[in-house]
Amino acid sequence: MGIKQAILGLLSDGPVHGYDLKTEFEDQLSPTTKLNFGQVYTTLDRMKRDGLVGQEVVTQTERPDKKVYALTNAGRKELEEWLTEPTKLDLDLRNETFLKLMVARRVDWADPKRVLAVERRACLSQLHEMTQARAKAERDGAPVQTMLLLELALLRLEAFAKWLERCEAVLSQEDAQ
Amino acid sequence: MTENDKFAVEVHGLTKVFGTGETRVEAIGGIDLTITEGEFVAVMGPSGSGKSTLLHLIGGLDEPTSGRIIVGGDDFSTLDDDALTMIRRRRIGFVFQAFNLITVLTAEENVALPLVLDGMDEIEAHKRATAALKRTGLTDRGSHVPAELSGGEQQRVALSRSLVNEPLLLLADEPTGNLDSATSDQIMSLLRRLVDDQDQTILMVTHNARHAAMADRIITLRDGRIVEQQSLKNGRSADQVLADLESAL
Repeated sequence: MGIKQAILGLLSDGPVHGYDLKTEFEDQLSPTTKLNFGQVYTTLDRMKRDGLVGQEVVTQTERPDKKVYALTNAGRKELEEWLTEPTKLDLDLRNETFLKLMVARRVDWADPKRVLAVERRACLSQLHEMTQARAKAERDGAPVQTMLLLELALLRLEAFAKWLERCEAVLSQEDAQ
Repeated sequence: MTENDKFAVEVHGLTKVFGTGETRVEAIGGIDLTITEGEFVAVMGPSGSGKSTLLHLIGGLDEPTSGRIIVGGDDFSTLDDDALTMIRRRRIGFVFQAFNLITVLTAEENVALPLVLDGMDEIEAHKRATAALKRTGLTDRGSHVPAELSGGEQQRVALSRSLVNEPLLLLADEPTGNLDSATSDQIMSLLRRLVDDQDQTILMVTHNARHAAMADRIITLRDGRIVEQQSLKNGRSADQVLADLESAL
């Protein structure tokens, strides 16, 4: 999910130690994505093999020498392409609510309207929590990463609420016919 | 709710029928509802479900066919026209989708107008208008006419005007209907803060789920009846949501 390219991005203004990549990733790029060191080093090894990064040893006088990773020309090109090309949109159409609704239409003792009503309540509760969280984040001066992720969560929930309304309207029309 | 909580609004067996015979439309078909002081309630529902009619009835802008409406202890059915006008003027504030500001008056004059029309001394009225503008964060725009203000600022002037008489109840009918989404969010945050910080009671009609979800309770109408009521007050805390968000992926 772009972890590889994100690491390339962190290396773009100079070599970085593997340990620092994890903290910089979490602090500066995506506070909601927690990386483990294993993941970071596996990714780095694979990119080294593919010639996207190189490893350098920095000699230190008071501490042991440390290994840092640096971007190669191929790595820079890979990063450029990733940043320029569109991301494959994750529309997430394998939606469980949709499946539940279709099953409720099949099962004669189930009520699709009831399914929609229950989903709507859950969605509105989450929307409430998320708007409160955003207000809190705003008051606390949360970083831009957090604000933009909250906005993404809010808009997804809002879209889901609208979709449930459409489902309700379409099923009501079906009933009327 | 505790014993000390008071009802700002009580509605019992409310109906409203428009027209007769073949053109008869039952807009409100029997609604019971109470709103506690300091509560923020949103009303949702498809077009024609009776949302605005309900708001107009509770605001005393329209007369019910049957049923009782009690705002701040005053039962509308026992009041004559003059007394009802007084309640409307002094205890209820209105905000609509259209800002309805007077274009030749400054923001402060617009806000002071209801008080001046009610016979208040102009100096006192302007003092209160300044305070009301402060409540909506518009301290430095009081001397501007509406045309010099953005849509969001104009709605904040309208909101200040509705708050200037310190109403027990604020009624809002699609208050963000004319605004872009970022400005709408600002107005909604403002309404939420009025409730949280100043215990303002608000009844708001909206078709926007995100805005409705900022209330304490959502009432859903269909064909003039309440089909769903949902309290939103027992969810996760904001801190918990933010912590969960950080571990979500």
